[in-house]
Amino acid sequence: MTLPTTNGSELSQKADQYMAYETEEVITWCGGCGNFAIQNALRRALVLEGFAPDEVLMCFDIGCSGNGSDKIEGYTIHGLHGRVLPLAAGAVIANPKMKVIASAGDGATLNEGVNHLIHAIRSDYPILFLHHDNQNFALTTGQASCTTPQGCKANSAPDGAPEESINPLSLVLSQDPSFVARTISSDTDHMTEIFRKALHHKGFAFIEILQTCPTYNKHMTDPWLLEQAKEVRELPDYDAQDIWAARKIVEIAEPIHTGILYHNRDRKNFLEVMKHRDEVQTTPVEEVRPYDLSDVLEAL
Amino acid sequence: MRTRINILGESGSGLSSVGSIVASALKTMGYFLQTNRENESLIKGGFGKVSINFGSKIIRSVSREADIMVVIDKPSLQEYASSLKDGGICLHGYERPAGFKAFMQEFEARGIKVCKLKARTISFSHGGNEQMVNMVLIGMLWKTLGFEYHWIEDQIKKRFASKPKLLAIDLLCLKDGYDGVESQLEIELPEDTSKKIMVEGNQALALGAVHAGVRCYFAYPMSPASSVLLHMSRLAKKFNLVIKQGEDEITVANMTLGAMHAGTRAFAATSGGGYDLMTETVSLAGIIECPLVLAIAQRPGPGTGLPTWTCQGDLNLAIHSSHGEFARIVIGASDVTDCFDLIQDAFNLAEIYQVPVIFLTEKVIAESHQAVLPFEQNKIKIERGLVEGKDLENLASTDRFKITEDGVSKRWIPGSSKTYYFANGDEHLEDGRLTEQAEPAGAMYAKRVRKLETIRKALPEPKTYGVEKDADISFIGWGSSRNVMLDVIEILKDQVKINYLHYEYLFPLKPKAAEAFFETNKNVHLLEGNYLGQFGTMIENATKQDFSDKLLKWDGRPFFLEDVLEYIKSNT
Repeated sequence: MTLPTTNGSELSQKADQYMAYETEEVITWCGGCGNFAIQNALRRALVLEGFAPDEVLMCFDIGCSGNGSDKIEGYTIHGLHGRVLPLAAGAVIANPKMKVIASAGDGATLNEGVNHLIHAIRSDYPILFLHHDNQNFALTTGQASCTTPQGCKANSAPDGAPEESINPLSLVLSQDPSFVARTISSDTDHMTEIFRKALHHKGFAFIEILQTCPTYNKHMTDPWLLEQAKEVRELPDYDAQDIWAARKIVEIAEPIHTGILYHNRDRKNFLEVMKHRDEVQTTPVEEVRPYDLSDVLEAL
Repeated sequence: MRTRINILGESGSGLSSVGSIVASALKTMGYFLQTNRENESLIKGGFGKVSINFGSKIIRSVSREADIMVVIDKPSLQEYASSLKDGGICLHGYERPAGFKAFMQEFEARGIKVCKLKARTISFSHGGNEQMVNMVLIGMLWKTLGFEYHWIEDQIKKRFASKPKLLAIDLLCLKDGYDGVESQLEIELPEDTSKKIMVEGNQALALGAVHAGVRCYFAYPMSPASSVLLHMSRLAKKFNLVIKQGEDEITVANMTLGAMHAGTRAFAATSGGGYDLMTETVSLAGIIECPLVLAIAQRPGPGTGLPTWTCQGDLNLAIHSSHGEFARIVIGASDVTDCFDLIQDAFNLAEIYQVPVIFLTEKVIAESHQAVLPFEQNKIKIERGLVEGKDLENLASTDRFKITEDGVSKRWIPGSSKTYYFANGDEHLEDGRLTEQAEPAGAMYAKRVRKLETIRKALPEPKTYGVEKDADISFIGWGSSRNVMLDVIEILKDQVKINYLHYEYLFPLKPKAAEAFFETNKNVHLLEGNYLGQFGTMIENATKQDFSDKLLKWDGRPFFLEDVLEYIKSNT
């Protein structure tokens, strides 16, 4: 697999389109927060892949990532904690012609709403999902989440988080997903590349973004992430179509392997398994009208 | 005149099939009918009963008492023996008297005529099995009713056409049952033999939803709402519906909201406990002003309560659920025709006012079959309140949540206009941008709540049934209360002057009609299927009037005719 590379001149040619996504809002994230770069990379990827703001529905969970819901121009919805996946799934089922992107943090994805994650993978909804993993509940002032490494001090655990943490990718890969990638908020170019590719995946694309949180996560810093990150493309013979290779590599703590870890192009997404709609060209959004029940009523 | 049949049998005994076969044959003859199924929350065993009340005029409720009782098994007889009227008819196929004798002695003392055939022997003699005993019983019942054989024969043939070998045995059993007993009743044949349809409330709800343009149904099974999923699934192929069984009710609510936000019509039905899980999402719908229609098929709580029984106990839940203050609409259906009509209205109201609509049914409506005149289509036009066509080109983002006097702003489908907006669960400005400033936050909050008054004005008035004035006794109610009330008014029309004020639109409440009702009528009672008299309290608070008394019921059973007849007797 080859990744597209972010082309500076390509982007500068599309400066107007890029600016269309730019907000005039006052940004409320802390200085150095990974969210700046994530949203920047998302804007770049959308522009480079030709998505206009009215062709995308961006769905946001609660927390620092969720506070991005009015910091990017376009149709957005800012839902409930832990529930962005079913919200986005409902939207994309209703209107598969819109690109649906969902964002949520580690607390939402793996604490509050882990059931939705499992089922989103199972159902393979056509959603690009950005997992903002900063390893803590930041907006509520730094409580431990289930991805906080064991022993790490947190607001809720002054002596260190007592429990083992969850390995998000190990969990995701155990469920036979169709697209899994990992990137870091410290590398905008790499995120952009991953998002560009994932935007074209027809099923559920799970992107693990290790995100810096300079206020509450003192160990996962930009220099540390940049030092630890190792692109799987740089590995000899890494096969992103081999789920066992992916399952194995995500168990390695250091270095942190990034890039497209697994991609199954053959998996049928949620819309494709609804056989009775195979011939239907319209979307449910376009189909709202009175339906004649005469035949059905006659048979009752 | 109504004829009342009670069929008794445990879960798994084929009770529902027997009821359904008999009811279908009656419906085909042109009778109106109403059924009520009582069963414990079990796959096998327990006690159970299917009541069928039929007649040549519309029937909306059932009687506790029966004229004829068909006994499939003993545990159910234990529970329901007293429901057979003195002088009634008991049909059974028991060959061994053990445990039966006492009942037969009691029946004899009460002048009840007992007809029996050796049903098991008959079934086995034809190569049949235990279940086919029911065919013998159906044959016996049909003959006892005095009806021609072909009506019931056609029904069995139709139902088991795909299993010709078994059908042949079924028919032999049916015939032996029919020929083995005497015709006992002379029941008036239906006056109006025009086409009737027989459906349960959940089915009517599904049909109404599809007629209203619902394209996606999201569900998590919960009695007594589960069969909405069944009926929607059966309609899915013909109407290309999207059906998704979510991982829980929170999912279901969020998928429904997401689909509604995206611009289709999506629907979900559950019961009280499932709705509890949906309430946070209802609150989200409130702040992003997204239409959302959720149905609650009520059963008694709290907790798991009585899963397969009925009540009207979740009105307060529907009105007061979810954090924060926002406008919503609560509608209560009474019967299958209501389910079909009002669900269409629910979607229109949800979209026009951009609010959640909670649609209440009850187990006795949701899972009871009623034979009625076919539903009228195209009576309620789809109204979406959306910006469409050329107008989509002249929008500002701030139009979406514009502060207006009536609280309603423009809504357009995401992607339908270049002008986008933020549907923000945080408090926001007119284009959806977050704000925590006092003035704009307060103004937006007030705009949303103001919709309550706009809606209150727009909702239809409640309806009055029965005499206009000089009533001996009057009632106010909602939901299934209307069914028994209208039947009682009809039954007592030459004896007692009764009137009844019925609310379909429960919230926001329109109190004027109730105020006038209290002014005109001096002996006003509440009829409500819960302990607290939840709706009654609303009415009393709004009108500053007190009910003379309240007929309340919370034991999981619907109001039977007898409940209200006896109550009227002691209160007039």
